[in-house]
Amino acid sequence: MTTGPGDVRLERTVGRILRVGVAACTVCLVLGLLLSFVGPRSNAGDALITIGLWILMGTPVARVAASVAEYAAERDWRFVILTSVVLLEICGSIVAALLFHRHV
Amino acid sequence: MAVTPALTLLILGAGVVAGAFGATLGLGGGIFLVPLLHLALGFPIAVAAAISLTTVIATSSSVSAGRTGQHLINLRLGMLLEVATAAGSLGGGITAQLLSEQTVRRLFAVVMVIIAGTLLRTLNQRDTLVDASASPGLLGGRYNDPQTDGVVTYQVKRLPLALTSSFVAGNVSSLLGIGGGVIKVPVLTAWCGVPLRAAAATSAFMIGVTATAGAVIYYGNGQLVPALAAAAVLGVQAGSRAGLRLGERASTKLLKLVMAGVMLTVAVLMIIRRNG
Repeated sequence: MTTGPGDVRLERTVGRILRVGVAACTVCLVLGLLLSFVGPRSNAGDALITIGLWILMGTPVARVAASVAEYAAERDWRFVILTSVVLLEICGSIVAALLFHRHV
Repeated sequence: MAVTPALTLLILGAGVVAGAFGATLGLGGGIFLVPLLHLALGFPIAVAAAISLTTVIATSSSVSAGRTGQHLINLRLGMLLEVATAAGSLGGGITAQLLSEQTVRRLFAVVMVIIAGTLLRTLNQRDTLVDASASPGLLGGRYNDPQTDGVVTYQVKRLPLALTSSFVAGNVSSLLGIGGGVIKVPVLTAWCGVPLRAAAATSAFMIGVTATAGAVIYYGNGQLVPALAAAAVLGVQAGSRAGLRLGERASTKLLKLVMAGVMLTVAVLMIIRRNG
C-alpha cells in the first residue's frame, strides 16, 4: 500500500461514513423497536426499523461510492474501475432481489 | 411469522451471545448466530442467514470505523478483493433460493470442518514478516503492532489465490449468512503473506460490502424479518463490544484452537439435525 496523502484522506473519509452510518442505524433501530413494542402498535416503529435497516445496508455502499470519488480525484483509474465494478455488483444484487420478489 | 416482544428479546439475547463469542475469537457473530437461530430456535436456515447477514454488516461497519487511522485495514487490497467477494455473494444469494435446507446445512458443516482443519494445521505458523524496511509494493502494507511495538511490513503474494478465496468466501457468506472472514483470513495469512492482524482487519472491512450484496437478495425475497433483524443487530453490537476486549488479551494460538473446536462442534450439530 502506497500510503500517500490520498490514501490517508480516504481512510479518514471511510471512517467518518462508517461512524455516521452505524450511529444513525442504531438510533433508528432502538427507537423503532421501542415504538413497536412499548407503545400502542403503530406504523412509526416499523417504518423506523425499515429505515434503520436501509441505512445499515446503505453504509457499505456509501463508502464504496466515496472510494470511487476519491480515487477519481487522485486520477488512480485502475482503482476507479475496480471500485465501480463493486458498485455495479451491488446493483446486480438489487436487480436479483427485484426479480425474485416478482416471482415469489 | 408472529413477532412477539418475547421472541424479539430472545433474538436480542442470542445476538449478544453470538457477538461476544464471535468478537472474542476475531470472528463475526454469524458463525454462532446462524446455528443458534436455526438449531436452537428452529428458524428456517434462509431466515437465519438473512438475520445473520444484517448483523455481519453492522459488525463490519462498527469494527472498521473504530480501526480507521491505524493503517491495519489494507484499503487497496480490500477494494480489489471486494470485486471477487461481491460477485461471489451475488451468486450465493441466488443459489440460496434454489438449494434445499439439508444441502445448505451440509455445506455449512463442510465449510466449518475445512476451516477448522486449516486453522489447526497453521497453529504454529509465524504470521509476520520481520524486516520493517522491506518495500510493501503496490498492494502490501505497513502498520504498527501494539503487541511487539514494532513496524510490520508485508507484501501480498499469490494474488489469484487471494481473489479465488475471496470469491468463495463471498459465495459461502451470503449462502450461509456468515461473514466469510473464516475462509479469507486463513488463506491470506497462510499463503498470501498478509499478517493475521492486517488480514483480519481488511477482511472485516470487506465483509460489509459482501454481506450487503447477499442481504439485499434475502430482503427482496421477503426472508428478512425486520424487527428480528433489528434485535439481532443491536444484540450483536452490544455483545461484540464486550468480546473485543477479551480478544485483545488472548494469544493467537489459543484463539485458533478455540475457534477450531467450536467449528467442529457446529459441524456435527448441523449434520445430525433433521428437517422439520
